[in-house]
Amino acid sequence: MASPSVRAPGRVGRRDDTRLALLFILPASIGLVAFYFWPLVRGIWLSFTSWDLLSPAEFVGLENYRAMAADPVFWNAVRVTLLYVVINIGLQTVVALVIAVLMQRLSRSTLLRSLVLAPYLVSNVVAALVFLWILDYQLGIGNQVLEWVGLDRIGFFTSEAWAIPTIAVVNVWRHMGYTALLIFAGLQAIPPTTYEAARVDGASEVRTFFGITLPLLRPILGLVLIISVIGSFQVFDTVAVTTNGGPVDASRVLQLYIYDKAFGQFDFGYASALSVAMLLILVVVTFFQYRMTRAGQTDLN
Amino acid sequence: MHHARRITASLAAALAAGTLALAGCAGPGTAAASEDSVVLDYWLWDANQLPAYQRCADEFERRNPDLQVRISQYGWNDYWRKLTAGFVAGAGPDVFTDHLTQYPGFAQRGLLRDLNTLEATADVDYGEFQEGLPDLWVGQDGSQYGMPKDFDTVALFYDTNAVTEAGLSPEDLQDLDWNPEDGGSFEKVIAHLTVDENGVRGDEEGFDPDRVAVYGLASNGSGGMSGQTTWSWLAGATGWTFTDKDVWGTEYHFDDPRVQASLKWLFGLVEKGYMAPYEEVGTEPNPQQALGSGRAAISANGSWMLGTYANLEGVDLGIAPPPSGPVGHPVSMYNGLADSISAQSPDPEEAARWVAFLGSDDCQRIVGEAGVVFPARPAGTEAAVEAFEERGLDASVFTDLVEKKQTFFFPVTEEFGAIDALMTPMMDEIYIGDRDVSTLTEVNEQVNGLLR
Amino acid sequence: MTETTTAPAAPTTVPAPDTPRAAPPRRRRRRVSPGRVLAWAVMILLLLVTLFPFYWMLRTALSSNGALYANSTSLLPVDFSWGGFERVFGLQSTEEAIAQGGSGASIDFWLYLRNSVVVATVVTACQVFFSAMAAYAFSRLRWRGRNVVFGVFLLSLMVPVIFTLLPNFLLVRELGLVDTLLGIMLPGLFMTPFAIFFLRQFFMNVSTEVEEAALIDGASKVRVFFAIIIPMSVGPIATISILTYIGSWNDYFWPLMVSYTDDSRVLTVALGNFNAQTPQTGPDWAGLMAATLVAALPMILLFLVFARRIVNSIGFSGIK
Repeated sequence: MASPSVRAPGRVGRRDDTRLALLFILPASIGLVAFYFWPLVRGIWLSFTSWDLLSPAEFVGLENYRAMAADPVFWNAVRVTLLYVVINIGLQTVVALVIAVLMQRLSRSTLLRSLVLAPYLVSNVVAALVFLWILDYQLGIGNQVLEWVGLDRIGFFTSEAWAIPTIAVVNVWRHMGYTALLIFAGLQAIPPTTYEAARVDGASEVRTFFGITLPLLRPILGLVLIISVIGSFQVFDTVAVTTNGGPVDASRVLQLYIYDKAFGQFDFGYASALSVAMLLILVVVTFFQYRMTRAGQTDLN
Repeated sequence: MHHARRITASLAAALAAGTLALAGCAGPGTAAASEDSVVLDYWLWDANQLPAYQRCADEFERRNPDLQVRISQYGWNDYWRKLTAGFVAGAGPDVFTDHLTQYPGFAQRGLLRDLNTLEATADVDYGEFQEGLPDLWVGQDGSQYGMPKDFDTVALFYDTNAVTEAGLSPEDLQDLDWNPEDGGSFEKVIAHLTVDENGVRGDEEGFDPDRVAVYGLASNGSGGMSGQTTWSWLAGATGWTFTDKDVWGTEYHFDDPRVQASLKWLFGLVEKGYMAPYEEVGTEPNPQQALGSGRAAISANGSWMLGTYANLEGVDLGIAPPPSGPVGHPVSMYNGLADSISAQSPDPEEAARWVAFLGSDDCQRIVGEAGVVFPARPAGTEAAVEAFEERGLDASVFTDLVEKKQTFFFPVTEEFGAIDALMTPMMDEIYIGDRDVSTLTEVNEQVNGLLR
Repeated sequence: MTETTTAPAAPTTVPAPDTPRAAPPRRRRRRVSPGRVLAWAVMILLLLVTLFPFYWMLRTALSSNGALYANSTSLLPVDFSWGGFERVFGLQSTEEAIAQGGSGASIDFWLYLRNSVVVATVVTACQVFFSAMAAYAFSRLRWRGRNVVFGVFLLSLMVPVIFTLLPNFLLVRELGLVDTLLGIMLPGLFMTPFAIFFLRQFFMNVSTEVEEAALIDGASKVRVFFAIIIPMSVGPIATISILTYIGSWNDYFWPLMVSYTDDSRVLTVALGNFNAQTPQTGPDWAGLMAATLVAALPMILLFLVFARRIVNSIGFSGIK
């Protein structure tokens, strides 16, 4: 299967590598079709049906989508999910960026890097349980500390205003090391010579960061943002463990609603329509992110 | 560059190891037992009961050498997810522990076998079970969808130390009365057991309801649509019922002034300072923690929690019946689990033999002896009461409620999932104080609309 | 952990005018600037926030379950006990475990550990390798439709997990792989769009000069992939491998679906038993926290071993 290309100097890299490329993407394509696209097609089909498990799916046209448009719980879920994503991603990106830059600047210690990644080693469910306990209104050490400092106790998971921010922060805790490590990998890919040029020009730390580091980090940062936003939209475990959508509907995020419709009420058709809505939201959001961050391109070459 | 090469090499090694592993596990697949023996998959969610049911299975296998029972246990949430996925893929268990909130949905979709149509369970005398339990599992079509395995009722748990400290005796808690207007002697006791941060009791002059140290009544959340341990025992004591029929009702009664008054009284305790506000408990209430930490004095909860409360350190556990209401006696919700056979089971007749054994005196006595739950047959119930007695726990309060018929059923209707999804946020709002109980009249319309 | 003495040519704080390779770790001799102190202060604060929950887990794991509620804010373990860890390793008798608020389920810890290791290792090796191949095709090979096909892969990034769950389960069942380790591994074996995307990003950054030189020397593109691209991207590849390994190790819901017996039970699923058993019973806190720590420990060890490699290999991505 040796590539047929590549002998003639001067035409290097300009040859057509189609056959080799197809070979190289073959395994990935199998996974793509079998475990992503086939389920996707099936899900889209189901969204036009009424299906409750055993009885065969019955085609109902746009009925599910009409119901969805008129469903206040759905629109509330969209609003709550967006609020969550904004808080979660905003905070996480800033914190992760700070950690990554600090790691790069302060120490190459392996231990430090391991410690920072430690929360990622814990599953969502356990992270949620631990914080549910630490932040318990009455018995949590968190609220105890607030009281010692002289502040009022806060119903972190139990008041409508705090539920979503708290859940967002719990997930920031779990993912910030992960995100920081990805950004860190991107930082390492920036040739050191670029920094030196800036130093020679006498640029300050802050200017170097905003003028050089950030722009050169853009492709990786863009990628990390896209990935985190997509993951953030699908928040589920943390909510299910801590508030289960409450108080009232304050934390009833989209994924929780989909899950409840499918597994709690066996309304798989409607749940599929909700999933399609989520897919569409993700496609739109990702498209704009991709465009804005030009994540697909690189400035380095 | 040798670092790089080493990693590539280790990757390659890992890959090779992986391929071997792949080849290894692609071979046998699920290990089948000997050729002619049928393996039955049985699922349950309560790990505390696993040892007892394993003993039942061992005994069953001894008597039926041609059958094998493979028990799997999954935590509550995982259990229903896996079961649903199992139904979709046809990969579920043959027999599984079923819950009243779930089985109507399963039955409606034809996922359960009618036990009356299977040889081993066709002739079971359901009169031999604790009264009423088998009826809960009869579908609208008259099919028997579950073999009763246990039952539970609700009572009041308290810390004897806290009660005597308040100058009361455990006897004072045995015959409380209650009504939704002034709360009766029950409210007086709750008020007296409440203490604010200055040590002033809830029924004394100068009590500060905003700075409470010990609440008289532990909160168990808003209770959702059934209020099993929260408000059902109050509303039930007014003579109110969930629906128009014991089982398979077609109309809910949330528009009834009695349930609305009961809810108003209960959640009114928050303002009086006798029960924790929503902010303190949220959607994951933990009343045993409140009792264990001395945050609350009395906690209403189900009989299945007996072991958990008994294990609380520093608590000298006492148990009292719920207060008697306007009907003249206490009322508890009466609920129970059963074993159902999946319609997808390839061996329904064999599954029925196992279910028949699960519902027999022999197995239920084994389960009762473990002292975790009250089995559904009197012989098993007795064994459980004795087992609790050995641990120094008087469980008779729970069984007396059943013997005296001071119970009402868990609501079994169609569309339970949808109704619960609709009602739970609203009950939360009522608890928080953002919604008036009278709005339940309109909500009731919506609920009944779902049933039509 | 001490500084590595053989300082690799990582970008450092050294404002060296000469090439980075020649730059010795001169900052040790630099005086401590206020900015550096501030930076360390922020880092230490972040570390505290990161680590406090772990301390709380450890403190809970070493407490006895029944005493936790009465002393909820004690900073030290309450009524010190190894019970939680004993339950994790299945060292307590069933009766003892239940009496301490644990579960009666039996635990064959080492078997589940082995299953977890096999699953995570195979998934990581295959997924990263196949994803790297695809990433190479999308970044360094020239072919018609490259961007369109990449766009299609990109789209798969957005398919919500809940969409794929049941269909994938059906597929695994039709392949007869329910309750096998292969069934658990299968969906992650070929690729994740993220790994492809991530690696492509780095492959694009690898300098073309080295590649062209190799091509002129008569190397094939396959050889370029193995001999140049992979070695020069060891840092990112190690990063993605570790993250994949941890992700696969922690995966819970999918193995829960596929696994039915001990043959294919992985550690996370087995330890899930420590979570709430019934809707109203609280979890066995001590056991749950002990289980979490035990499950995370192999990952921490793995990371300590591999993170050094990432650190030591970073220099390569800097080569021009």
